[in-house]
Amino acid sequence: MTMTRNAVHSIFSFFFSIGRKARKTRVFFLIAGLPVVAALIIRVNQLFSPGTPVEGPEIFSNVIMAFNLQFLILVLALFYGTSVCSEELEGKTLTYLTTRPVAKSAIILGKYAASGVLLVLMVTASVILSFLILNIDRLFDFAAWTAMLKGLSVLALGLLCYMAFFTLIGTFLKKSILFGLFFSFGWENVVQYFPGSTQKFTIMHYLKSLLPAASTGSTGKLSFLLFRLEPSSAGAARATLLLLTAAFLGLACLVFSKKEYIFED
Amino acid sequence: MKAVIRTKNLSKWYGNVLGLSDVSLEIEAGVTGLLGPNGAGKSTFLKLLTGQLKPSIGQVMIRDQNIWNNFPLFMRIGFCPEQDAFYEEMTGWEFLTRLLSLFAFSAEEVKAKAERALDFVELSKDKDRLIRGYSRGMRQRLKVAQAVAHDPEIIILDEPLNGLDPLGKRKVIQLIKEYKDAGKTVIVSSHVLPEIEALTRSIILLHQGKILAQGDIHYIRDLIDAHPHMISVACSDPRALAAHLVGEPSVLNIQFGPAPNAVVFETRNRDVFFSLLPRLIVEQAIDVEEITSPDDNLQAVFDYLVGK
Repeated sequence: MTMTRNAVHSIFSFFFSIGRKARKTRVFFLIAGLPVVAALIIRVNQLFSPGTPVEGPEIFSNVIMAFNLQFLILVLALFYGTSVCSEELEGKTLTYLTTRPVAKSAIILGKYAASGVLLVLMVTASVILSFLILNIDRLFDFAAWTAMLKGLSVLALGLLCYMAFFTLIGTFLKKSILFGLFFSFGWENVVQYFPGSTQKFTIMHYLKSLLPAASTGSTGKLSFLLFRLEPSSAGAARATLLLLTAAFLGLACLVFSKKEYIFED
Repeated sequence: MKAVIRTKNLSKWYGNVLGLSDVSLEIEAGVTGLLGPNGAGKSTFLKLLTGQLKPSIGQVMIRDQNIWNNFPLFMRIGFCPEQDAFYEEMTGWEFLTRLLSLFAFSAEEVKAKAERALDFVELSKDKDRLIRGYSRGMRQRLKVAQAVAHDPEIIILDEPLNGLDPLGKRKVIQLIKEYKDAGKTVIVSSHVLPEIEALTRSIILLHQGKILAQGDIHYIRDLIDAHPHMISVACSDPRALAAHLVGEPSVLNIQFGPAPNAVVFETRNRDVFFSLLPRLIVEQAIDVEEITSPDDNLQAVFDYLVGK
């Protein structure tokens, strides 16, 4: 167990070090910065149109959070999750990892953790900057900070859960990106609006159930995000997301350990 | 001597394509050359030995342990893959130290081993450059370095001399010989016979996924020497050159072409032919553009050996 933990840590360090400097990280960091740009534009617009009735926290919830939750974390998780395995296969670097004395599951877990930390840092930076820009005049509003931190925790949980799912997909599908796009912007974006319990077959349902306003039934600040949501309880949503993450990762480790990977010439 | 590596009825299919067929052999300590033309199954065999592929039939035992999913065995194995693949955005130093850290060595050990390996492949000066900027030869040497850095007992090198300049080749050959002297087991694959000849007498000949011959290289050399060789000479006066060689017993056949200034000789005794040719060229003052041996490659030799 200790050996596996050490191996996961070594793999984590290996890929975190690569990830920090990778060109891909810079590109996705810029994409993650889009909400910051949007917040800046909105803020500048507000300065020149003082009569705007919409307040910072509301814009933050309905625009920034919606963009992050409905688009950004899906895209980030898709590209980083599928690449946990496929990047090594396409780059033919898998050999260097599988000919070391580390369990194959440690490779998956270590790389997943490295990508996960990078993505959470990216999204955190983006959310906090957007929040500060939109709430510059109410920096001491404790409730706004609490809502932002809760939103951030939902995004982080979403990132980790989606990433685990895409990591699993990447271990056994060659065209995992295509499938992931269909899943993210087809299944997840459509089925979450189905009435009744059908929407519970999406990860998004549980993420939205964790948003601060979901439990209170308020449709004010998060009206866009909570459209047609029939929320599960926060505890059940959190437990489901954690269970799903663990199950996806466990399956990914299992597939990766059993399957043989043949490089394409 | 006890076998270090043992394969039994080892076979591998890629769908309907046969990669390796019924290979049973034992490899002892020392250097073993794995020789075969491209597509013979060398890389498949080495991937099976290193547990990257799962046998379709049969098994691979390393020190009496099954290799598939047996990751602790990799403490004892070093593998240099054929493919030119790296984490391009790392420096050579980062690449080696990060890979060494997967062996659970202490930080000092990692540093010492990485320095020693880089020093050996003469990359110490370039260790802080990004791999992306390395030349082909440097990349090849770095691949060898990562295979030997942890001082494994079994070293498996897939075409390690590819892309190396003569000095680099000599260095790697010297390294392999040192490992042999240290009692380690080294398996080297190549499709170039002289490379293997420079390394070892013990070879395995692979062809179309099957073992064609196994044993001392001299036996193979004799077979190959019995094979008629074609030697093409492009020169200023091919007819004069042909006229002087037509009566030589070592020359079996002479043909002109395919280029207008080329003549192709067929000989059963290359050594005699090559001792005659330079003398004639000098005596007759013939300007030579090129001397090539169209069938002097392993594929031709293998085709000959299997009677195609």
